[in-house]
Amino acid sequence: MKSISRWLVTVLLLLCAITCVARDRSSQTTYVIANDDGLFTNSMSFFAAGGTVGAPALSFSADVSLIGRGIGGGFFGLPRINMLASPSAECVYASNAGTSDIAGVIIASGQLAGQFNPSPTDVGDASGVGILVSPSYVYAAYSSSNTIATFSVMPGCQLSFVDDVPAAGLNGGSIAGIALHGNILVVAYGDGSIESFNVANGVPISNGDAQNSSGFVASLGIDFPEGVDITQDGHYAVFGDSSIATKVEVSDISSGRLATTVLYTVSGVQRAVAPGVNSASIRLSPDQTMVFLGNSDGGSVSAAFFDNHTGKVSGGCTSPVLHGFYNPWAFAGAIITRDTTGNGGVLYVAEYGFVNSYIGILSIASNGSNCTLTESPASEVPDMLSNGLLSIAVYPPRSF
Amino acid sequence: MRVTLRAVVITIAFCIPPLINAWAGTPPGCPSRPLPGTPVNNPLDLYSQNGVLTVDLLIQNSVDVEGFPHVCYIYTYQGQPIEAPTLRVNPGDTLNINLTNALQSMDLKSSKKKVVHMHLPHQGPGPADDCSGNEVLPSSTNIHFHGLNIPPVCHQDDVINTVIESGDPAFHYSIQIPANEPPGLYWIHPHVHGNTTDQVNGGASAALIVEGSNPITQGLNERVIVIREQDKPGPPNDPDANVQLTINFEPAIYPDRPAPTITLQSGVQEFWRLLNASSKQFLSLQLTYAQTLQNFEVLSIDGVQLQTPIFTNTLNIPPAGRMEFIIPGLRSGQTGQFLTVGYNTGPVGDANNPALLAKLSTSADLHAQKHLELKAKTQPKPGRFSGLASMAPNTTRSLYFSEQNIGTTGGTQFYLTVAGRQPRLFHMDDPPAIVTHVGAVEDWTIENHSGEVHAFHIHQIHFLVLAINGAPVPNPDLQDTIIVPPWLGSGPYTSVTVRMDFRDPEIAGTFVYHCHILDHEDGGMMAKIEVDPN
Repeated sequence: MKSISRWLVTVLLLLCAITCVARDRSSQTTYVIANDDGLFTNSMSFFAAGGTVGAPALSFSADVSLIGRGIGGGFFGLPRINMLASPSAECVYASNAGTSDIAGVIIASGQLAGQFNPSPTDVGDASGVGILVSPSYVYAAYSSSNTIATFSVMPGCQLSFVDDVPAAGLNGGSIAGIALHGNILVVAYGDGSIESFNVANGVPISNGDAQNSSGFVASLGIDFPEGVDITQDGHYAVFGDSSIATKVEVSDISSGRLATTVLYTVSGVQRAVAPGVNSASIRLSPDQTMVFLGNSDGGSVSAAFFDNHTGKVSGGCTSPVLHGFYNPWAFAGAIITRDTTGNGGVLYVAEYGFVNSYIGILSIASNGSNCTLTESPASEVPDMLSNGLLSIAVYPPRSF
Repeated sequence: MRVTLRAVVITIAFCIPPLINAWAGTPPGCPSRPLPGTPVNNPLDLYSQNGVLTVDLLIQNSVDVEGFPHVCYIYTYQGQPIEAPTLRVNPGDTLNINLTNALQSMDLKSSKKKVVHMHLPHQGPGPADDCSGNEVLPSSTNIHFHGLNIPPVCHQDDVINTVIESGDPAFHYSIQIPANEPPGLYWIHPHVHGNTTDQVNGGASAALIVEGSNPITQGLNERVIVIREQDKPGPPNDPDANVQLTINFEPAIYPDRPAPTITLQSGVQEFWRLLNASSKQFLSLQLTYAQTLQNFEVLSIDGVQLQTPIFTNTLNIPPAGRMEFIIPGLRSGQTGQFLTVGYNTGPVGDANNPALLAKLSTSADLHAQKHLELKAKTQPKPGRFSGLASMAPNTTRSLYFSEQNIGTTGGTQFYLTVAGRQPRLFHMDDPPAIVTHVGAVEDWTIENHSGEVHAFHIHQIHFLVLAINGAPVPNPDLQDTIIVPPWLGSGPYTSVTVRMDFRDPEIAGTFVYHCHILDHEDGGMMAKIEVDPN
């Protein structure tokens, strides 16, 4: 009897959570969605955006079990939760790195659509599985097997495995960052090398342009492109470098292949007292006037100005070290903007902790030549289900 | 070169046949190691005689039944392979080691991603030899004489160009222990860049004791305790899951298995010489009798006798650190525990967990394993490090440790940088990061810009510890390895300030300083210093 009561309560709570999420979707509440990367049972947590202009906030809304297992860590710049870059996005996909499968969740209902397996040789339990979403396909980039699996998108957020292809760095690295625009899929290998693939026919085919980036200093073994983003018109791929200084590299991809990258050391960024900046994760603002960088080892966030006509990066600013850096959280993971227009308004930062993880919240202020990043009084928000938060997404998503 | 090469083999067992023949009958692999729950025994002692100790060592490897890789220094004694004997010499003695490398190429690499730096292939005239920087293979090895103040040259204590390949003829080391070397505990271990972690974790290390007289320890039973660490690749999301501490090769994994045991003569003090030969474990040692914390009487740190013994109930010892101390007598019928209580390595440091190293009990009729005798043939000459505290430094330098990560699961870049320079991963062919000269006395401040503890070590010399986090140390002592505390994310960087003593002309040459967390060292947290002769 007792167990039946517990079961009923659990079902009611779950229904309530799902209803809340579904109701909020219809009113276009903005949600931050986290791939919790849970070691035992992975989950996806939804946080509703709120607060005021000066004090943006997040509040936990619901969670969805993803059945599979996470790994509680991984590469900083690898997007492990993603959705179609369109207001019409209906599905959010998250990887279960520990079991190497992909979970699909129906946004409108907050229900798990299912877990979808790649080939048995696709493994991502070392440092995660990155996810990219196009209207017809989901691409899963596996950091252990160094493969990219292609899934067909089916109705109801279902996926069907199609094929996989190898993707390994020139210097022994693994897939550490990925981005997609139209028919080009760009990979950073975390070893100084980058490569692009053509996905016109669904399954990626290498463009044969694997190369070391300009910023990579092979003789010193330093500065690796890691996080990647691509401009709305598909002209430029922008890389955040895993490096001591805050470095951005930009490659012209308008030809459909990677051109030699141009290296920018973001000016106006002072190390203050941060232990290495390490601009490993990157995100363009919705209006593409700014590029945001998560300083993974420094516990801060940087911004620089971006000219989407020339691909040039200039100026910039860095937040103070965020609340709770090194106590209780240790690394900054993915960054993402709240708004789908302008400079994004608010930045969210995944804050990785060994025990508990958090989401940091910052307000963005910019006049086009100067900027400030101010942490909200409501930051940091705990993600109680996470064993090591690195990947977050926002719904509704940016349009590219 | 002041070392005289003498073809005299004087050890406990002498008249050993030529080396290659001696190993012909040795079965491949390492000898069995003690089972958990058994008594902790001293390593075999090898003493110098008539000023010379010559030892033939074989280094080889195997994997035990639980999957732990073993890498062992084998000495053949009465026809039996003995692992990691203690080398006992006097100041002024000659120590000869003939090292035969029989390491098999096996994948010893841990699950953590590493960057292995290789020498460029030999391009000079004539054949490559083991002194000219062979290509580093997973089976390459050499020996570092940790803590000894001896020349950084091939066949002595060079780790930059000395690369001994598997299958090469026995490599001859010949060291003259300085006449003024402080009597105390030193050690030997492999130091080929990129291979050090795996070979030391495999067990390739041995205590080296420079004998000397100390009235305080006269007549006390002496134990030599070597804490090692053995690692096997674990699940990707928990690389520390398969890390075990061992005490004289016996796993200390209580309560999973019985704890090692040490039996003391009831009511009698003992003199312990303890070496932390683990690759990354910071020990925080305590001793309890009947659940009451006891004081250690610390006599020496890193081989150098303290001016005044320190009484303390906790010994914090970094990887490669040594302490020599007296433990109080355990009353008849009482039991005790010798343990490490775990060490906070910082917000992003590796777990250094508590472990019961041994259970202690007493025996009334115990025959002491070894009573100390005054064996010193030569009284140490005063002079080494003398007056260092009162000297004005010629130069001050600032260095810092930093890290950069691609993710939380590996791919960390480890840097040790002179302030103002660009961080870079160490490469064996790097030019010296620091150039100084014999006679220099320098004050170095070493900061930690990472959220993880580091262990700074410099070859060839000791340094005087002046300040920690800017606060002067009341009674500076000499060390060769020091803990640099983790930075906690706000406020000034943590730091240590030490006084380097480059006055001894014997240490002229090029050598290295590095973090003695060995996967940091292998990962690039190292640099060269050149000390030019006057």
